[in-house]
Amino acid sequence: MPFVEDPAQLSKSRLKSDLVAHHVALPPAASKKELYVELHLKHIDQSNCADFSSDDEDPVHDVVGEDPENATVLDPSALTDKDLKDLLLKHGVKAGPIVASTRAVYEKKLRKLLQSGGKEELNEAENAVLYSDSDEEEEGDENKEEQEEPEGEQEQTAEALKLNQQRCNKKNVDVQRGDFAYSQCFFLSSRLRPCPLKQNEWSSKRNSKNAVRSSEQTREHRSQIPAGISKVSIAQHSGLRSGVPSGSQSVVSNGCSSRSSQAFSITEMVVEMESRTSPTVCSDKELSHSSKQEHRSRSSRLLKEVEDKDIIVDQAVRYTPKDSTCVKDTKPPQEPENDILKEIFPDTNATPTGIYATPRRPIKGAAQRPIQYAYPKTPVSPTTLERREVERRLVPIYIQILVFFTVVYVLYVISVIVEDGSSVMPLLESLNQWSDSEEGSPALDETQDTHSASGEL
Amino acid sequence: MSSTSQKHKEFVAEPMGEKPVMALAGIGEVLGRKLEENGFDKAYVVLGQYLVLKKDEELFKDWLKDTCGANAKQQRDCYGCLKEWCDAFL
Repeated sequence: MPFVEDPAQLSKSRLKSDLVAHHVALPPAASKKELYVELHLKHIDQSNCADFSSDDEDPVHDVVGEDPENATVLDPSALTDKDLKDLLLKHGVKAGPIVASTRAVYEKKLRKLLQSGGKEELNEAENAVLYSDSDEEEEGDENKEEQEEPEGEQEQTAEALKLNQQRCNKKNVDVQRGDFAYSQCFFLSSRLRPCPLKQNEWSSKRNSKNAVRSSEQTREHRSQIPAGISKVSIAQHSGLRSGVPSGSQSVVSNGCSSRSSQAFSITEMVVEMESRTSPTVCSDKELSHSSKQEHRSRSSRLLKEVEDKDIIVDQAVRYTPKDSTCVKDTKPPQEPENDILKEIFPDTNATPTGIYATPRRPIKGAAQRPIQYAYPKTPVSPTTLERREVERRLVPIYIQILVFFTVVYVLYVISVIVEDGSSVMPLLESLNQWSDSEEGSPALDETQDTHSASGEL
Repeated sequence: MSSTSQKHKEFVAEPMGEKPVMALAGIGEVLGRKLEENGFDKAYVVLGQYLVLKKDEELFKDWLKDTCGANAKQQRDCYGCLKEWCDAFL
């Protein structure tokens, strides 16, 4: 740097004025000239050489004076050996001697450090964006999709219900019951969710099918059931129906003990028997059906199921129009089941193996984020602080209680002893005698000695 | 260093004296020539660089890569060889 005079040769006052001109905070007045020289080297020389090097970096160097950290934005090659060493030290690197052969290495190191520092900041910003916005957007989109689908399903079910209604000429109450069962079956079918294996899924489907079928069978049973039971209100019937799937499911999934209170009933037993006997009957159909389901998209699958149900319902209607309400009641379980399945595992259908490797993104919330902001403790008033301080010095409460009881016991013993004073006085006297005898015996010896001595004399 | 090469063992076995830079483990003919072009003609010059970088592994490997384009294994071999030599003789 030929333009700059060697700061070491400048006077202290000149250095000071230079530093002031470059907006550098002056060191304390008592500091040595070397400190000034160092500051001069660090701030003014840097800015000078940068002025000559490039125009782009000018805005940076206006700030350099105030904040030496910003000087690190500079190209390390423009720094002096000492500055380079200082900067490296600032970044936690204890640099060795910076000589011709090592300078390049240290420059590279510093550059890497600077880049990594900048990158970290960038990443934080990106992460913040990821954490805050994109996540919510994605969730919102998913929710939208999921909300749209159930509506479609509900419409379909409503249509099916209407069809049944028209055919069977049932009352509106029954349809409402069906709706009620719908919500309940939501709940029931949610128990299926934790069983992730294809087998379970398949069997549950089969069982729900069986339930539907068994409802046909139970018609016959119903006719055998005493009149009192058969006259039970429709609401109870619907309850029984809705209990049917849960019962069968719990049987197949090896005793998930969670059954609804309504679950146990004659019809359920029938269904259990049916589910044990019938798989061979309907397995062929179900197998093909399930295999198809796995490879189809949601909507098509849904449509097909609805169709199937319609067929079954139709059969039921044809056989016994009276009990078609029961079929209606049992039919909804399948649809909400799929519905929630999709909600919770949106991508499960795509896996033919049945093993759910959900592409769920890692939790971007507090779990992964490093703790950036420690919540301050709730403000504590000075009085509570004082109290805590006092409490810290106090004897623990259990020791206090212990001492209290010991004191009470001692006092009680004393009072008891004092009440019959006759026992006290001998005790005290005996104590005195005992002490006296101990003291007295040597005294006696002494007196004897003195007596004998006097006798000799 | 789980397995050390013959070159490594030979270098570490004795004071390096006036050995050429190619005697260092991980430095073959090509790298040795490049180092010589850069003035590092003897092993002790490389040792000097190693020492002046305060035996810092990262810095030394970086330097070796920049100077002669050594790959990771060559860097590791050379560093390990110098380190062991220093442990033995310095």
